[in-house]
Amino acid sequence: METSSGPLAHSAMFSPPEQAPVAPSVKKKLIYDQDHRGPLSTDTVATLMLLQADNIDLLGICTVTCDMWGRQETAYALRLLELMGRKEVPVYMGAQEPLLNTKAEAQMRYQMFGSRTLGNEGYLGCFAKDGGSRDDLEPLPPPYSRFAQLKAQPEPAADFIIRTIRAHPNEITMYCGGPMTNLALAAMLAPDIVPITKEVIFMGGGLHHSTSSVNVYFDPEAAKIAFRAGWPKLTLVTTDLAEQVHMQDDAKVDYIVDHAHAPIDELFRRFEQKPQRDNPQRQSFRMPDEMMAAHAIDPSIFGGFDEMYIDIVTHNDGHYGDTLFWDANWSDANKGTPLAGQNNPSIKAGRVEVLKAIDKKRFREIFVDLMTRPVNQAKS
Amino acid sequence: MTTTRREFIRTVGGAIASSQMALEATETGAVAAAIPNVPVTPPQGSGRRKVIYDQDNSGPFGTDILGTLMMLQADNIDLLGITLVTGDAWMKQEMAFTLRLLEMMGRTEIPVYPGAEFPMLNTKEEWLLRSQLYGGHRLDPWMGAFNRPNGGPDDVQPLPPPYVRFADSSNIKAQQDHAARFIIKTARENPGQVTIYAGGPLTNLALAIALAPDIVPLVPEVVIMGTGFHTFTNTFNICFDPEAARKVLRAPWPKFSIVTVDLAEEIHEADALTPGRSMIGEIVARAQSPIADLFQRYAVEPLKRDPSTRLFRMADEMIAAQVIDPAVFTKSEQMYVDICCTPGPRYGDAMFWHKNWQEVPNEGKQPVSAADRRIFVDPRQFYLGPPPSAGLVNVLQEVDRNRFTNLFVDLMTKPIRKA
Repeated sequence: METSSGPLAHSAMFSPPEQAPVAPSVKKKLIYDQDHRGPLSTDTVATLMLLQADNIDLLGICTVTCDMWGRQETAYALRLLELMGRKEVPVYMGAQEPLLNTKAEAQMRYQMFGSRTLGNEGYLGCFAKDGGSRDDLEPLPPPYSRFAQLKAQPEPAADFIIRTIRAHPNEITMYCGGPMTNLALAAMLAPDIVPITKEVIFMGGGLHHSTSSVNVYFDPEAAKIAFRAGWPKLTLVTTDLAEQVHMQDDAKVDYIVDHAHAPIDELFRRFEQKPQRDNPQRQSFRMPDEMMAAHAIDPSIFGGFDEMYIDIVTHNDGHYGDTLFWDANWSDANKGTPLAGQNNPSIKAGRVEVLKAIDKKRFREIFVDLMTRPVNQAKS
Repeated sequence: MTTTRREFIRTVGGAIASSQMALEATETGAVAAAIPNVPVTPPQGSGRRKVIYDQDNSGPFGTDILGTLMMLQADNIDLLGITLVTGDAWMKQEMAFTLRLLEMMGRTEIPVYPGAEFPMLNTKEEWLLRSQLYGGHRLDPWMGAFNRPNGGPDDVQPLPPPYVRFADSSNIKAQQDHAARFIIKTARENPGQVTIYAGGPLTNLALAIALAPDIVPLVPEVVIMGTGFHTFTNTFNICFDPEAARKVLRAPWPKFSIVTVDLAEEIHEADALTPGRSMIGEIVARAQSPIADLFQRYAVEPLKRDPSTRLFRMADEMIAAQVIDPAVFTKSEQMYVDICCTPGPRYGDAMFWHKNWQEVPNEGKQPVSAADRRIFVDPRQFYLGPPPSAGLVNVLQEVDRNRFTNLFVDLMTKPIRKA
């Protein structure tokens, strides 16, 4: 615990690893909550990482509508587990719609206030004009090729989350790679799970690159509820950090295509290598969800964090879903100046640990290793 | 054997903390959540109407409790369960009053489920700050659970007479399941049959449909109290949890009836039954215990001490009337409604639009009132319709005063209904 009071005292810049690499016998129990876009995306690649990591005990996959509608994501997740031979991992379909946001309003806000700018930051996921509707189910392309025989669990994702955290107090890491609709519902239905959750890892929000991201502005009310809930530890991968590494950097993709086992090789060949070869100008995506997975697998590759306060704008206007940050040490900042004590957070803001640097070399090593090692076998 | 305050809080809190949810599957398909295609049948005239009673049951007396008494007394109602939500009071305090009221009424067979202890997003601190920033809010003197004397969610006060003590927990206690799960389970098990009475903030209902949107077409009618056109556009049940209200009002329920504050204002507890005979006097003279005791202590005596005491409008009693005897309401209109969820001075305000906004009445075609003329303009020039996601609801607009007051007095004075 940091106790000194300097303005940067709370940031543990490139601190040594907190612990030795976790031995397989003490696997990290993880619930994987994801807007699982197929056939291959940052969502799906993070799924592959967690399936491949030896030190992760993947208790279940929860889906949530955002990048795609929940039904379609669930279909991809189930079939991916079949292809990976991991039928023992249960899949729970979660919220099929945000708490309040709707496609019609999202479209209309863009007309009225303009889209979010900065390249693809105007992204609306399945709320895009051509994003279809909730009950659409498109066929899965090769190498998925067909729908899975594996079925989703009947329980809603929020109930699975509540039940599992209660059964393993202080042991569960919640990975939230999509909007926090499922987590917010769980926290509202069962506030008792909040203090007994080991850690929540979330990707979204930003201080510089953009002030928000789709995982937040797709369901701002859920994000506000989840951020304010008071988890013992809430780790944030911002868009700022995620932008530092892109999928096509360092020829990772070519290496993976050449060295990975089925079905990973085929997924990367069809959905990363080929599009890039067809269009060399293509800007490959940043690696946000892969970074969250890396944090779950080996937190020591991140160079410390800033403790901050966070809150979300829920005014239904052009700033719907913007993320606001404040320094946790706001009361100590600017001492002796007229600004002292004035940069306070909102009254109910939540505390988060904002990851602030990543060891790119080690991230790449871990990532390439997980993608190219023999496909992990099912738990016996 | 009596239950102490400490024991009571422990049992209620424990029930919530340990509540295990075993949600039955509707469908175990590859990607579940197919909506069962069940025809909605209206409640039969002969059979009893199955009802889930969702309420911020603030005691010892008042519109919440009177709504409860009406539902307990009505012979044509099958009360499947009571679900509680923080609103007028904190949920645990409401639980204490509800369990004891059921014990006093001899109706301990009715299960009571603990629901949401907090609104989805609204907080006490932000409510107070909004008033400072934007100016005072008409609901500030009330604020329900957020009012200072109510303390926090675990501050359960002793119960005054005629409640006197907490319910004997071996006789009746809170259920384990969360209210939202009870609503889901019950709606699925009785498709097309369970009416939902929602007399408080709509948090439990919002949670239920967020978890299980498939129940929406299975509920033949939801009746709520809140919103308004004329008296006020902001009402407590909505302002306490505007996001929940928006979610619930927008869902495509087969029928969603609203008692507005305008309608509720038309009848007050102290009103006359017939000229010279007040409802309260009639009830105290003819009702049995504990109903007579409640009216004596909380209506007759305050009026005796101060004849200018203004007893409350009959808000939740009207929801009960719509469930027990819908003929009490002689006029209603299908309208679009939405709730303002922008955390500003209008947080929680209701907005309405006519269902037939495209058929704007023109002079000569249909009679247009002066008020309507201010609203309706040339449809070729202006968009007069609702926002894209507004819900379509059944707004009750006229009450048969005689039928309502007689129904109310009859239910309060008939012999206490047996379990």
